[in-house]
Amino acid sequence: MPGKTSLQAETVSLMSLLEDLQKIVGDGRRVSASPSELYCYTFDASQIEGRPDVVVRPLRTEEVSKILKLAYHQEVPVTTRGAGTGLAGGAVPLKGGIVLDMSTMNRVIDVDVANIQAEVEPGLIRDDFNQAIKPYGFFFPPDPGSSAMCTIGGMIANNASGMRCIKYGTTKAYVLGLEVVLADGTVINTGSRVLKSSAGYDLTRLMTGSEGTLGVITRARIKIAPLPKARWLILTAFSSAEEAGRAVVKVLSSGIIPSACEILDKTTISVLKQCDKKLILPDGDVILFEVDGTVASTEEDAKSIAEVCAPTATSIRRISSQMEMEEIWAARKLIGASISRLQPEKSRVYVGEDVGVPIKSVPEIIKKVQEISDDIGLPAMKFGHVGDGNLHVALFIDVTKKDHWNKLMEAADRIHLAALDLGGTVASEHGIGKARAQYMRRQHGPALDVMRVIKRALDPVGILNPGKLDL
Amino acid sequence: MDLPDINRCVRCGTCRSVCPVLQEVGWESAGARGRILTAKGVLEGKTVDSSALQSLSTCTTCGVCTEICPAGIDPVEAVEKARGLMSNQGFFLPDHSILKEKVRTTGNTFGDIGSRHGWLQDSLSQSRQGHPARRKAEYVYFVGCLESYRYPKTAAKTFNILSRFGVGLLEDERCCGSPLIRTGFDATDLIDHNLKQIKASGAHSVIASCAGCYATLKNYYPADFETLSVSEFLARKIPDLGLKPLDDVTVTYHDPCHLGRCNGVYDPPREVIKAICDLEEMNASRERSRCCGGGGGVRAGHKDLSINLARRRLVDVPEGVDYIVTSCPLCVRNLRDAGGKTVDLVDLVDDALKPTLDIRPPDHQLQAVTPSNHKR
Repeated sequence: MPGKTSLQAETVSLMSLLEDLQKIVGDGRRVSASPSELYCYTFDASQIEGRPDVVVRPLRTEEVSKILKLAYHQEVPVTTRGAGTGLAGGAVPLKGGIVLDMSTMNRVIDVDVANIQAEVEPGLIRDDFNQAIKPYGFFFPPDPGSSAMCTIGGMIANNASGMRCIKYGTTKAYVLGLEVVLADGTVINTGSRVLKSSAGYDLTRLMTGSEGTLGVITRARIKIAPLPKARWLILTAFSSAEEAGRAVVKVLSSGIIPSACEILDKTTISVLKQCDKKLILPDGDVILFEVDGTVASTEEDAKSIAEVCAPTATSIRRISSQMEMEEIWAARKLIGASISRLQPEKSRVYVGEDVGVPIKSVPEIIKKVQEISDDIGLPAMKFGHVGDGNLHVALFIDVTKKDHWNKLMEAADRIHLAALDLGGTVASEHGIGKARAQYMRRQHGPALDVMRVIKRALDPVGILNPGKLDL
Repeated sequence: MDLPDINRCVRCGTCRSVCPVLQEVGWESAGARGRILTAKGVLEGKTVDSSALQSLSTCTTCGVCTEICPAGIDPVEAVEKARGLMSNQGFFLPDHSILKEKVRTTGNTFGDIGSRHGWLQDSLSQSRQGHPARRKAEYVYFVGCLESYRYPKTAAKTFNILSRFGVGLLEDERCCGSPLIRTGFDATDLIDHNLKQIKASGAHSVIASCAGCYATLKNYYPADFETLSVSEFLARKIPDLGLKPLDDVTVTYHDPCHLGRCNGVYDPPREVIKAICDLEEMNASRERSRCCGGGGGVRAGHKDLSINLARRRLVDVPEGVDYIVTSCPLCVRNLRDAGGKTVDLVDLVDDALKPTLDIRPPDHQLQAVTPSNHKR
């Protein structure tokens, strides 16, 4: 059930809305409807665009509650935004209305080491959170490539993951409880301070990954994990990406769970080398295995992985230097946006970039992506968290050429369908947003109708992030 | 920079993690990614209004976004280009227009009609060899507006050292043009004038005190001469300076953006400092040095923002140091105004050349400049 359109928001008087919002936050500097500001909030990091009517930067739960109460009664759409680094259009206001920029609500409220948790506000940047808890010997493992920018609230709304989730689990494994403001302004608390509870419906899990369509997160209790004492990186190269994928299956089947397992195909390797000439990386299709734990266990695991890969690898190198590991991971994090260094006339467009398949099917999806790329004639970089079946595909085109866009969308569609045919998902970690909404029925079947019932129950007027997830 | 360059921005938001103005102001339009979008709107002729000006005018041009951008684009170049397009269409901050008029009418950013060589009265070298601006020299010292009119003692100290090595002066130096270029105005007349002066001096190398002058002479003037910073020249001459170490002094060094990150000059000032005293690095230094908030026309156009940025920078100062040393008078000015005990590299060198160990620069040089004591 869609909310009101931008035109209807104007009908209820934008000026009056602005005044009401200014009264709620008590500070005109935290409300804006200036043309340039609205233009900036029209975009996130995806291809989706949608212009808001007004942007508000709340500081307190009370403000969020009053804003939603107002929006609910006036049927004005509300889109929640963290850092706007999402890749599926989740933070883009498709139907105008209000954008809630939560980035100013960014405090660490409490670090409760004895209870292995921390309480934070949603606008807190992931890396800032980790800096705050590192002195206690803990960390928050989910680490998307955008970890220096993305917010905890955005990560929860998207069930974000990243490199280390193969061992440590995704964001949903770490959310113990939430404070959520519902569509009508009601504030609820889900979960609790205990590490496990079986007491009714798990609303925390419902909200996690709901992409701002069921409520606005204003506080989160996050479980934290002890920092490992040691890490090793094992750089392995193979003659083909498929062969590399087979090595991943063998390693995991042998009982070793690496703390990261990343594929970098030949094209990705050449981009990395251009971005940072100091990096020493092998040629070929590469898997980066990382193991963490104690000094003894990591050395043993590194040796075991090298032995498993030896029969098919073209090169193997074990690295224990902290500095070299950090350089390689830092370069890996920025690979997605760096493609234009390889071909300056082309830009990377984030579509078809986040498929996931069961681990055993990893070699198959790699093969299929390569076939699609060859067939359509669009180069594709393959990299990502292949250890949990998540393959990132980077497609790059000359964005000024319409036929390139047509080819791009065809390639993306075929990649999504290939993943679904293998029993996989169109979105491992980037979420559905608008970018992949058209695949919801195909992926979920009748379960999508259950999602729609839940959406109608919690947001009967349809003001929360309308137009997303095919709800 | 054209639209195809701007379109290479994938809006990943990596620049959000480093843009000092975004961290202070919070609005998307106040960050590098937001300014790329604003610049796009300006280049496409879509959004040319006061809100676009607000977004573009808060950029200090510190270049940390350019440093970190994974797509390899230069948001600073986009901002300067968009500022130029906007000023051509009559959109500029009144304070920037006033600054431009001061420069064009008096040749300096203060509108000061006094002699640009007034500081020479403090210099030891004038009386010995005749007016230094009237003799040919292979190296000339480009003093800059700030040193000439606000830090005359630093200008004198600098020239006292440089003239020992035969460095001369331009007869009629005017503003390098940086404040105009940064704020979207044309500086061709200034560049032409200064170029003639440099040619007339016979110099093959120009030495600049100010990081803004340095960056402009190096990157916006024709490559007819070598551009050096004072720190680079001094580093070359360490064995000949006769420096006496200051044993119980520890300083930190603030990398000026337009000297360090934008032009790669990191080591020479550090070499000079380490020849004199102990150095402890700031919490963010070299490529990741945080902006003092003074550049890009922000001090003139958004004074409060400028000082708040300087306050944030002061948080990076390590505990227990005696001074912040830097190699740019605008950084000195802004950091002092925010409460930092800041001296120019030349002040430190001058102390190390004194016959007695008088390690403190005169008190008045460390006072924050306030409206009541600010010389106009």
